[in-house]
Amino acid sequence: MAKLTLKNLSKTYGDVAAVRNLSLDIRDQEFFVLLGPTGAGKTTTLRCIAGLEKPETGEVWIGEDLVNEWSAANRDVALVFQQYSLYPNYTVRKNLEFPLKSKLRQLPAKEIGSRVHKVAETLRISHLLDRRTDRLSGGEMQRVAIGRAIVREPRLFLMDEPLSNVDAKLRELLRSELRGLQLKLGATLIFVTHDQVEAMTMGDRIGVLCDGELIQIGTPYEVYNSPHNTFVASFVGTPAINLFDGTIDGDRIVVVPEKFEIILQPALRVRLNQVAGMRNTVRIGVRPEHVKLVTKSNIAGTLYGAEDHGVEMILTIRVGEHLIRGTSAATTRVPVNAPVQIAFMQDKLHFFDPETGKNLAQA
Amino acid sequence: MAELDLIDIEKHFGANWVIRKLNLRINQGEFVVLLGPSGCGKTTTLRAIAGLEEIDSGEIRIDGKRVESLPASDRDIAFVFQLYSLYPHMTAFENIAFPLRAFRMSDKEVREKVKSVAKVLRIEHLLQKKPSALAGGDMQRVTIGRALVRRPKAILMDEPIGALDAKLREEMRVELRRLHIENQSTTVYVTHDQVEAMSMADRIAIMNDGVLQQVGSPTEVYSSPANLFVAQFVGSPIMNVVNCRVESSDSKIKVRLEGMESSFQFGGEVYQRVAASEHDDIALGVRPEAVRVERTEQPGYSPGEVHLIEPLGAYDILDIALGKTVIRARTESRFVTRLHEPVWVQLDETRTHFFDRKSGLVLNRER
Repeated sequence: MAKLTLKNLSKTYGDVAAVRNLSLDIRDQEFFVLLGPTGAGKTTTLRCIAGLEKPETGEVWIGEDLVNEWSAANRDVALVFQQYSLYPNYTVRKNLEFPLKSKLRQLPAKEIGSRVHKVAETLRISHLLDRRTDRLSGGEMQRVAIGRAIVREPRLFLMDEPLSNVDAKLRELLRSELRGLQLKLGATLIFVTHDQVEAMTMGDRIGVLCDGELIQIGTPYEVYNSPHNTFVASFVGTPAINLFDGTIDGDRIVVVPEKFEIILQPALRVRLNQVAGMRNTVRIGVRPEHVKLVTKSNIAGTLYGAEDHGVEMILTIRVGEHLIRGTSAATTRVPVNAPVQIAFMQDKLHFFDPETGKNLAQA
Repeated sequence: MAELDLIDIEKHFGANWVIRKLNLRINQGEFVVLLGPSGCGKTTTLRAIAGLEEIDSGEIRIDGKRVESLPASDRDIAFVFQLYSLYPHMTAFENIAFPLRAFRMSDKEVREKVKSVAKVLRIEHLLQKKPSALAGGDMQRVTIGRALVRRPKAILMDEPIGALDAKLREEMRVELRRLHIENQSTTVYVTHDQVEAMSMADRIAIMNDGVLQQVGSPTEVYSSPANLFVAQFVGSPIMNVVNCRVESSDSKIKVRLEGMESSFQFGGEVYQRVAASEHDDIALGVRPEAVRVERTEQPGYSPGEVHLIEPLGAYDILDIALGKTVIRARTESRFVTRLHEPVWVQLDETRTHFFDRKSGLVLNRER
């Protein structure tokens, strides 16, 4: 397996910049996720790495090799797409053998046989080897597609939303299977997705992309708990983070005068002084799990909605014109429209620049 | 608003059953979600209520009156599809007003009705725009407005927010539920997404292969699933289901999961449920949040090893190997930070389920 380095990569289609000046170091044996909404540039980045797309500027390094001028075939990377693109008339065995029979490799038959056998065992598809691939279930097809990538023992794995065509239940299963496999093989894997749950649960690190720009690179924990800006904050995490603007006024932040004010405890006051400096207005971010129903608070509202998710309740609280989302124990029973009072866990509050969206703690 | 009654509904296409002996009463003002995987018969059921699909046998009653032979237009029911199906050349206002034009209402009356619906849906500021100028969520709000404006007896929705992105879907869930609370319209809502069902329904009717599996409140289907299908269809992460052996001695029972060397000890209440039934083929079901995990040895806990850590931000999911079997547990964020760390595991007895593997049915479900 190999590490991967991208230096100042840029790619435009006509007038549209798909990838802007992107630099990235992916370590050997790392599971790296490129996360972003449609059109963020994640697939273009992946295709530049694979050699299917030529960047205008920038360098792609695989291991110690600058591969810009190398053909896709010579880069020794394996791609797995959303569509499995298996040969439907072939058996699973033939599909797995196929990449090994390329003229580039010239492997002896015995070697091919033993590699196919080993991969089938790892993926638990040995019993399917003689079945045609059009007779397989979605999950089995996905395993064969991954098997075909593994069998070549490439230097890098590149995967483009490989799980988005399977149903929710199977996706959950395949997620932990794929992660387990990557750990076992010690593979370097770059995984593209728009699904933040996939990114959080599988990645060693996540690179969050928006409009062709890499906004943040970090572990799932870092991306969730220290988002660089409001885009990352609201793209990662479900239910989504609450964001609202307030004005700092002495010992409090005023969101709506007298109706919605956060009274600052001393520790938060010190922290806010450090991050906000001279500025007056801040955008406050608070995750739903840090919003608590309390019996006595200066923030009063009404319960606008209550969703019973079994494991917990998701509450929507209306404070003036603001809707604040909070989670609470599954046993919570508050009637809709009832008056409620809420408090925020103050050490968990985030502060952003209302104009640029940047996290003030990281400026 | 109306009450809907489905009695012994059956429908097949050739030799394939689409709906089998379906009985369901939807009370006046109730929000019922038909939930199931694709092909389970939920959409066919909805279309049968609307009159867009004929049934082979059974009765459909609206407020006690049989309607099987009434055409869709005479059933006074509104239908919202996943696709917006708005008239592209009309403004949002005209789209919403459209169903009222058939009633020869005065312009003033039309304007009032449209405005009041638009207010509830928070699209008052968009009324003069054409659909092409609207975002996805707003288009769907207009579609819903058009369905609600004539105050139908019931409103039927087929995956109305399935095409929206995740964040907008989250918002629309709250809005739709809110709309229901304010309008009290009898609503039947079809989805394959258990999160939507759990978060909006008064009651959920879960279907599989044309057969109704269970009807109950979100809490009921989540906490007391009637069978393995419901247990694993509702809830995310999925409920752990593992084959097990059960031995009883005194008033205790020992449960050994397949592939596990040690066993879990359960007391009285579980003893009654499981030991009293004579099943050899038993599967244990436990949701990740009902798996207790400790980082030091505890009496009554079984040893395991952390195989995977899945951080979800607000909490973590751990894949814990107990011998050769793996179960998933929900813990607070960063409870365990290193792979292969030893942990000790116990199952919350009151939240552990036992199923007959052959029939899939839960054993001795408390009534």
